[in-house]
Amino acid sequence: MKSLPPNPWPWREGSVVVILLLSLGWLGLAAPSFFKPAALWPWLTSVAPVLLIATGMFFVIVGRQIDISVGSQFAWCSVLAGEAASAGWPWPGILASALLAGLALGALNGLLVAGFKLPSIVVTLATMVTLRESLRAWREGEFVRDLPDSFQWFGLGQSLGQCWVIAAALLLWMILWIASVRLSVFRWVYAVGSNAEAARLAGLRPARITFGLFAFMGLLTGLAATLNAVRFTDVDPKTGAGLELQAIAAVVVGGVSISGGRGRLWGVLAGVLLLACLPSALVFLKWPPHWEKAIQGLIILTAVAAEGVHRARSRGRED
Amino acid sequence: MRTPLSGETGRHELVLMAFLAAELLLFSFTGRRFATAENGFEILRVSVEFGLLALVMTPVILTGGIDLSAGSLLGLCAIVLGKLWRDAGLDPGWASALALAAGAAGGLLNGVLIARLKLPPLIVTLGSFSLFRGLAEAITQGVDNFTGFPDSFLLLGQGYILGAIPAQVPIFLAVAAGLWLLVHRTPFGRSLRALGYSPEGARFAGLPVGRNLILVYVLSGAGAGLAAIIYVAHLGQAKADAGTGYELLAITAVVLGGASIFGGKGSVHGTLLGLAALAVLKNGIALSDRPSEWVGMATGALLLAVLSGEAMLKKMSARVPRSPTRDSTSMPSGSP
Repeated sequence: MKSLPPNPWPWREGSVVVILLLSLGWLGLAAPSFFKPAALWPWLTSVAPVLLIATGMFFVIVGRQIDISVGSQFAWCSVLAGEAASAGWPWPGILASALLAGLALGALNGLLVAGFKLPSIVVTLATMVTLRESLRAWREGEFVRDLPDSFQWFGLGQSLGQCWVIAAALLLWMILWIASVRLSVFRWVYAVGSNAEAARLAGLRPARITFGLFAFMGLLTGLAATLNAVRFTDVDPKTGAGLELQAIAAVVVGGVSISGGRGRLWGVLAGVLLLACLPSALVFLKWPPHWEKAIQGLIILTAVAAEGVHRARSRGRED
Repeated sequence: MRTPLSGETGRHELVLMAFLAAELLLFSFTGRRFATAENGFEILRVSVEFGLLALVMTPVILTGGIDLSAGSLLGLCAIVLGKLWRDAGLDPGWASALALAAGAAGGLLNGVLIARLKLPPLIVTLGSFSLFRGLAEAITQGVDNFTGFPDSFLLLGQGYILGAIPAQVPIFLAVAAGLWLLVHRTPFGRSLRALGYSPEGARFAGLPVGRNLILVYVLSGAGAGLAAIIYVAHLGQAKADAGTGYELLAITAVVLGGASIFGGKGSVHGTLLGLAALAVLKNGIALSDRPSEWVGMATGALLLAVLSGEAMLKKMSARVPRSPTRDSTSMPSGSP
């Protein structure tokens, strides 16, 4: 048997998809201009990097870890990609510098968590602050400017560039979704996230898998940073602040259990889109935009509360 | 009652004290006017706000929980205070009391979700982190800034007692002393540690697990409310971004102070030492004319160094066969 066992509670992800479709439908009625290409494509392009980060975070959380340093990693990768571009490197070099930076930073987290057996929340809290502040000390707020024309939108022009960004993120997400159900490597992640000791006794090596999770998270962060950087004419060193919370929120709203071992990647796509359509919805419905964060918080709390109520009920049935 | 872990925590505190001494020695050479009484009081004054958050974060972490919403709640309480005073025309004293109540109510929300619905604290307080900050932004529409508080109120954050001691320091010391007694000298405090070790065990031992958990988060919320009052009186203004990132500083101080993030281990005096190490680092770097970014880098590096150093020590001592006397003070096997 290669694939994951059937989802014990598909309604959890299903309900998010239903809510997403309802919100999009409501948005379509109340503000039809949201679905015009001039608004839809830029929106989807801005969501693409978040989807990649959330996908990486999905595996980290399923493996019962957390990574709150992704925002700072994202900033480092963006700035390095920008520097490589402004130094005139060809595209493979730019991409490699961002991916390698992400991989190295993720591996550092992985080493500290898996090698030293330190709690991931504390480790990534420390690397979040250290990475952010060291970048600030280096750049002193200075943007990376003078990017060559071949950098923005990969030199393809805006509309084609947007298509590429969206297609790249969506394709990778889809491959990982199928892989997460089909490949045994990803089943090991579920196993370690459910019960690391049992996984070890079954012959897996939890420390290696945990290390791999963080390294993979870094790699995806590097890619997301590149896809995000091509949208602009310069690179802001402050980019990515708060990205970790956006990603964790999307994963949790998408039905993944924060205590590990449970969740499906397709729920994450719905979670990312649901949270991302909120600011646009507020703008199009002419609500005060300052409510965004409060509503986002309410959505997260509702999502986790729903899980809590469901768990309490199913426990009641067992008794 | 001494905690079963007093041997281990004692060693950690010695390391921290040595580090603090090294910091003081280094900065008294590199810093301008570092080793003066005025600077000592200045360090205390600027660390009271996040210090209060760290103090009330200690019992939370003892239970194996975490409160990421503390900084956001500080911001919300500051806005509640400013709004009630300026727009509802309340006396600053009453507005402060209601801000404190708002903090406790925010903590109650966290506590009920965590204890009654049995949700993970990390994710609940991540949600309320967004919710509280978002409410503060919604109330102020992102731009409103409350200033012009009466001098009698500002005295709380800017005045001096006996000519030299900042007015907020006695409040901080009173909270620290009260919390120390609560955590280390009462059955309630002991129950928190039991809860952190094993929630199931605590339940089977007949402890009121749910009630105590809720109380811990209400205490954390009220602490954020008190910190907000002092913050507003100290800076003379209340904006929606008040206290951004303070929860991370507070957690760092508690973990530096020797608490285990998995719960069951930690102390109020350890947190105070961790706080002192952080506050002196911040002040010393500024007085040594180094850029403020160094503070964050040094804080993160310090946290990692302390944790990995301890992990390595544990690994090394695990290889050496233990003598029976050391076994009696070691952690029970099977705990996280």
